[in-house]
Amino acid sequence: MKPVLLARHIGHGPVNRPRLSDFDLQLQPGDRLALLGVNGAGKSTLMQILAGVLAPTTGEVEIRGQRLDRGRPQLRRHIGFLPQRIPVYPELTVNENLAWAGRLRGLPGRQLRSAIEAALQQVQLGDHSRRLAGRLSAGMRQRLGLAQALIHAPDLLILDEPTAGLDPLQTEQIRDLIAGLPTKTSVVLATHLLDDVQRLCGRVILLEGGRKRAEHEVTPDIDLLGHFRQSAQAGTLETRS
Amino acid sequence: MISDIALHEWRRLRAGMMFWVLLAFGQLIIAWLGFAQLEAFAKIAPQLKAAGAAIGVTDLVLVPTLNTLVLILLLGAPLLAMGCMAGEVHSGRINLWLSSPVSGTQIVLGKTLGLWLANLPLVFSAGLTVAALGLGADIDWPRLLLGIAGLLLLSLWLASVALFISGLFDHPAAALATSYGILLFLWLLDSLSGSAAPWYWLALLPHVEPWFQGLMRSQDIVFFVATGGAAVLLGVYSIARRRGEV
Repeated sequence: MKPVLLARHIGHGPVNRPRLSDFDLQLQPGDRLALLGVNGAGKSTLMQILAGVLAPTTGEVEIRGQRLDRGRPQLRRHIGFLPQRIPVYPELTVNENLAWAGRLRGLPGRQLRSAIEAALQQVQLGDHSRRLAGRLSAGMRQRLGLAQALIHAPDLLILDEPTAGLDPLQTEQIRDLIAGLPTKTSVVLATHLLDDVQRLCGRVILLEGGRKRAEHEVTPDIDLLGHFRQSAQAGTLETRS
Repeated sequence: MISDIALHEWRRLRAGMMFWVLLAFGQLIIAWLGFAQLEAFAKIAPQLKAAGAAIGVTDLVLVPTLNTLVLILLLGAPLLAMGCMAGEVHSGRINLWLSSPVSGTQIVLGKTLGLWLANLPLVFSAGLTVAALGLGADIDWPRLLLGIAGLLLLSLWLASVALFISGLFDHPAAALATSYGILLFLWLLDSLSGSAAPWYWLALLPHVEPWFQGLMRSQDIVFFVATGGAAVLLGVYSIARRRGEV
C-alpha cells in the first residue's frame, strides 16, 4: 500500500544552525503519530513542512506517492492542517469561516453545503453557526479550527498542539473529537502533553534540537516521561559538546 | 478560484469597520468639497459668462473634486490592504492559505481584485455625487466618464501596489507606514523634480491628471499596467519566498 505521507531526509534552516535536520517519516492510512518535544525542538517547523506551508531546505515530502512541491499545489487537497494559532476570521461567522475553508480547499458549491453541515455536527458547533468567530470561547474556536481542517475530509490531518491553552474540559472535548476521527484518516499530532500521546496515538517520535531522537510504539505501560527526559538530556549534551 | 478569493476578500473587508468608515468619510469629504466648489463657482459664474471664458463647472467643480478623490484613494487603499497580506501573517491565517491547494498567483490576483472591489463603492458614490451636478448644470459628460475610467484604473493599480507592500511585512502597521511612504513619494515626485528627470515617469499625478482633462494617453495606460503588473509579479514572488520555494 502506498504511504499517505513519506518524508525523506527533510531539513530546514541554515546548514550551521538547522531548525530541522535529516528527518525521515512514513505514514500509512489510519496511522496516528505524535511528535513530542520541548519548545524549539522543531515540531512546528516540521508540521509546516508536512502541511505544505513551508518547503524543506533539503529532502522531499511525498503525499500519496507524489512529490509535494510548488508544481503541485492540488496535492494539498489531501491535507488538513490545524496550526497553533487558529486561522479564523473574527469578523465572519462560524458558517462563513467554514465555507471559506471549504472553498479554499476546492470543494464545489453542492458539496460545500453538506460538508459544512457535517463538519459542524462533527465538532458540535451546529448551534453556533451564525455566531461571529471573534465571539467564540477558546475551546469553541479550537473546534472551529478543527472543523476547518476536516471540512474536505483529508487523508492526512496535521494538528499542531490542538489542546494548548485550553481548560481541562475543553481539552477533553478536543481529545474526544480527535479520537472519533474516521479510522482511515492519518493524524500527525504535535504536543507537549503526554496524556495526548497516550490517549490518541499509536506511535510517538521524540524530537530535540531539530533531530529525531527516538521513536516508540505507544503501549499502555510506556514510560513517556522517561523517554522525554532521555531525549531532552541527549539534546542538551549534544548542544554542550 | 481567483474570483472566489476576490469575493472572499470583498466579503471580509465589507464585514470590517474600516471599509464603512472609509466609505462614509470619503463620501462626506467629496460631498462637502463638491458643494464648497459649487458655491465658489456660483459666485464667479456671472463674471465668467460676461468675460466669455471657456471654463465651466467641469473645470472648476468636477476636476478638483475628482482630484480630492485621488487623495482619498491614496489614503484609503493602504488602510484596506494592510490586512490583506500582513494581517493574514500577523493573525496566523497565512497557514490556512499556504496549506491550501491554491497557487501564489491565484492568491495575489484574487486578493488584488477583492481589494479593488472594496475601492469601487467609493469611486462610484463619488462619481454619482459629481454626476448629480448634471441635473442643474451643463457638465462635460465624456470628460467625467473618462475621469471615472482613470480612477478605476488608478484604484486597481493602488490595490496591486498596496497588496504587494502588505506582503512584505508581518505586521499591518509596518505595511501601512511603508505604503504611505512610497505612495506619498510617488505623489510628490513630479513637484520634487523637473519633467526632464529620468524618474519623472514614475510620478503618479502626471499619469492621473490627463484623464480629468479628457485625455486618454497610451503612456499613462502603459504606466499603470507596467507598474501594477510588476507589483503583482513581486507579490507572487514574495509568497514563494514565504513558502521557502525560492
